[in-house]
Amino acid sequence: MNNRIKELRARYDLTQEELAKRVGVRRETIVFLEKGKYNPSLKLAYDISRVLQSKIEEVFVFEPT
Amino acid sequence: MKKIIPVLVVSILVLGTTLLWMTNSKFSMPVAEIVQLVVIILIVGFAVYLAVNRLRSVRRGEPAEDELSKKILQKASSFSFYASLYLWVAMIFVNDRIQLDTEVLIGTGILGMAVIWVVLVIFFKIRGIKHE
Repeated sequence: MNNRIKELRARYDLTQEELAKRVGVRRETIVFLEKGKYNPSLKLAYDISRVLQSKIEEVFVFEPT
Repeated sequence: MKKIIPVLVVSILVLGTTLLWMTNSKFSMPVAEIVQLVVIILIVGFAVYLAVNRLRSVRRGEPAEDELSKKILQKASSFSFYASLYLWVAMIFVNDRIQLDTEVLIGTGILGMAVIWVVLVIFFKIRGIKHE
């Protein structure tokens, strides 16, 4: 699963720390998400999409293997 | 914060017990005991590192634990359980050939379990958790 968190975060001028605080996770989790090392839970994916004012499928792109 | 205090208390207790052990042996230890001591210090150091990391997160206004850190601990714990079973089988196999004292056998086994857990936590912290 790919994501556009870094790109959208830059659009809204949010740092990793600010995004982490707004969705209630640690900054490390945002780092892992941006690097594609972690697939978030549905709730976290929804929270991130809401903060980045985008649809969930615009932020997270599922690629079947 | 609730989970940080027990980690620090246990770390202090382990260090205190190790100090007592060193005092009893009058600071003259064979190589095997020195290796055990180094492993204990590394494990306690790792526990303190985790506790300090959580404290820093709390100070930044982030949660001490979140879904990723919980998943890393869960995965490392479940994998280390399986690995520990094989470790104990190996220890029994070794004990059949080289007669070890019960304390040495149990102590080495427990230290081995702790080392496996620490290695797995570090592994998942570096590699991340994908496709789950």
